[in-house]
Amino acid sequence: MKTKILAGVVTLLMLSGSAAIAADLHPFVRGSWKTLRQAHAGKPIVVHFWGLTCGPCLAELPNWTAALKKRADLKLILVDASPFGDEPGEVTAALKKAGLDSQENWLFADSFEERLRFEIDPRWRGEMPYTLLIGRDGKVTGMTGIMDFKKLDAWLDRQKKAS
Amino acid sequence: MTIVRMKRAISRGGLLRAALLATTMGFAGAGALAAAPEAPMGGMPMGGMSHGTGGACKDARLGCASTVTPTLAPDGSLWLAFDVDNKVYVTHSTDRGRRFSAPVAITPEKVHLDNGPDARSAIAVDAQGRVFVSYAIFKDNNYNAEVFFSRSTDQGKSFSAPRPLVDNTASQRFAALAVSPNGDLFATWLDKRGVVAAAKKGKTYPGAALAYAWSKDGGAHFTPSRIALDNTCECCRIGVGFNGPDQPVVVFRNVFGGTVRDHALLSFKDANTPGPMHRVAVDNWRLNGCPHQGPSLAISSAGAYHVVWSTQGDARKGLFYARSTDKGAHFSAPMTLGNPDHERSRPYVGAVPGTVWIVWKEFDGENSVVNGRVSHDDGARWSPVRTVARTEDASDHPMLANDGHKIYLSWMTKMEGYRFIPLEDKP
Repeated sequence: MKTKILAGVVTLLMLSGSAAIAADLHPFVRGSWKTLRQAHAGKPIVVHFWGLTCGPCLAELPNWTAALKKRADLKLILVDASPFGDEPGEVTAALKKAGLDSQENWLFADSFEERLRFEIDPRWRGEMPYTLLIGRDGKVTGMTGIMDFKKLDAWLDRQKKAS
Repeated sequence: MTIVRMKRAISRGGLLRAALLATTMGFAGAGALAAAPEAPMGGMPMGGMSHGTGGACKDARLGCASTVTPTLAPDGSLWLAFDVDNKVYVTHSTDRGRRFSAPVAITPEKVHLDNGPDARSAIAVDAQGRVFVSYAIFKDNNYNAEVFFSRSTDQGKSFSAPRPLVDNTASQRFAALAVSPNGDLFATWLDKRGVVAAAKKGKTYPGAALAYAWSKDGGAHFTPSRIALDNTCECCRIGVGFNGPDQPVVVFRNVFGGTVRDHALLSFKDANTPGPMHRVAVDNWRLNGCPHQGPSLAISSAGAYHVVWSTQGDARKGLFYARSTDKGAHFSAPMTLGNPDHERSRPYVGAVPGTVWIVWKEFDGENSVVNGRVSHDDGARWSPVRTVARTEDASDHPMLANDGHKIYLSWMTKMEGYRFIPLEDKP
C-alpha cells in the first residue's frame, strides 16, 4: 500500500510540474485534488483544510496531533487552503510547531482559488477550518469549523467495520 | 519540468499576450502615465503573495497588483490603493481609469502585509483632496496585525511615513476608512484588545471587537480608539456608510451566542454613540471557524440601507441581499443572488440617486464572471442577472465605486489587468 501511495505522490509531482515547495510541502494546483484522491483511492482519509491567517485553525492544529497519537487508523492529509497567501516557510514552521510536519502536507499554489475550491467541493466557499472525511467507498462527508473529535472517532470506527 | 522552466514558459506567454493587448487596444509606449489594462507577465510564484490575483508580476505597477481598492474622490478622480509583492502603492486617474499616474509607494520597504482572504488596503479622499490610506501588517507569528495609516496633502505626489492608526498594541485587522458628509475621517476595524485582556485573567474572549476612531483634522491626528461592540467575528471585511453628517452605519459579521456568525448592523446616533445592534438576517450559521467573507453596505440618498452578504447557515446558504428603510431596525426578506450550482462569492453593493447595483463573483467550473442586478426604485424590484465582466484565471474581489451619479465596477484580474467599468444607470 505504501508503494501505491508513493507512486501516487510521484505521479502528482510529475503532473503538477514542480517539486515540493518546501520540505514535504506539496503545491496544490489545478488537478491536484484528483491526483490526491486517486493516490488514496479505496482507503479512508481525512483531508483537513486550514490556513495561517485563520485563528481557529491555528488553535486547533495541536488537537489533530493528539488525534493522530490516539488513532493509528487516522490517515490525515493537511491542505493550507489560503488563497495563495501563505509563505511556505511559515507554513512549515506552523506545522512543525504543531507536530504535523511529517503528515502529507499541501499548500494552495494557484491564485485561482475559486477553481481549486470548485474541484474539491463546489459548495465550499473557503470558510475554514474545513474537513472532508473520505470513506473507503469514496463517500465524502464535509465538516465545517473546528472538529468534533467524537464524531471523527465514530466515523473511523465505522470505516474499520467496513473494511 | 522545473519551476524555473515553467515560469519561463508562462512568462513568454505573458509577454506575447501583452504585445497582443497593446496592439488591439491601441496603446503605444509607456511614459509616466501608464495605460490601464496591463497584461500580466511572469510565472506562478510559489507562495508568500497576497490573495486576489496572486500577483501576475512583481513590478511597481498596477498590472502586477494582487488586490486593488478603489475610491472616487469628490473632484471625480479615481484613486486606487494596491499591493504588489508585499508593498502598498497608490495611483490615480483623472479620466475614469484610462490612464494612471506613476504609482507612489506607501511602504518603501517590503512589509508582511495582512494577506487574509478578505483583507486589503483601504483608501479615502476628502473634499480638500487629501488622500488617506491604511493597511495592516502581521507583527508576530500568531498573525496578530497592526494597522498603519498614511496620508497625502499634496494631491498624492507624496505620502507621510506610515504610522500606527490605533493607540493600542493588541491586534487590529480589516480597517475601513470613510469620509463623513461633514468632512471628518472615520476609521473602523476589528480589534483584539479584549482577547489580550481576557487572556491575562485566564479567560477566553470569542472573536474580536468592532472599534473606531475619528480624525477631525484631515488625518493629522486621530481620537483615542473606542470599542463600539464586543465579540464580533474576527476574519471578515467591514461595510461602512453614513446616515447623517457624522453618523456612521457599520455592517459586519457578528458572533451571536458564541458560535453563530451572522450579520449585524450598528447605526450611530452621533459620532461617538453607536445605536443598538440590529441583526440583518437570522441565517444561523454555526461555525467555530473563519468564514473569510464579509458584507457590503450602501445607503441611498433616500436613506435605505442596502446590505449584501454570504452565508452557509442552516436557514439559507449562498449570497443574499436585504434592505432596511427604518435605519436597520427591520430588514426585508433575504433575496438570493446568482446560480446555486455555481460557486458564488464576494457580493458588493453601491447606490447613487435612482440606481442601486449589486455585483458578485460567480465561478461555473471554468470561468469567473462578475454578475450583477440593478434596481431603479431603491431596492424594491431588481433586474434579471446581467454579466458585467469575465475572466479565465485568478481575480480580486469585485468592488464598486461611485461619484454620486454613476456606479463603476472595479475589478483586478490576473489575465486582463485592472478594469474600471461604468454600469448602466438608466431604467
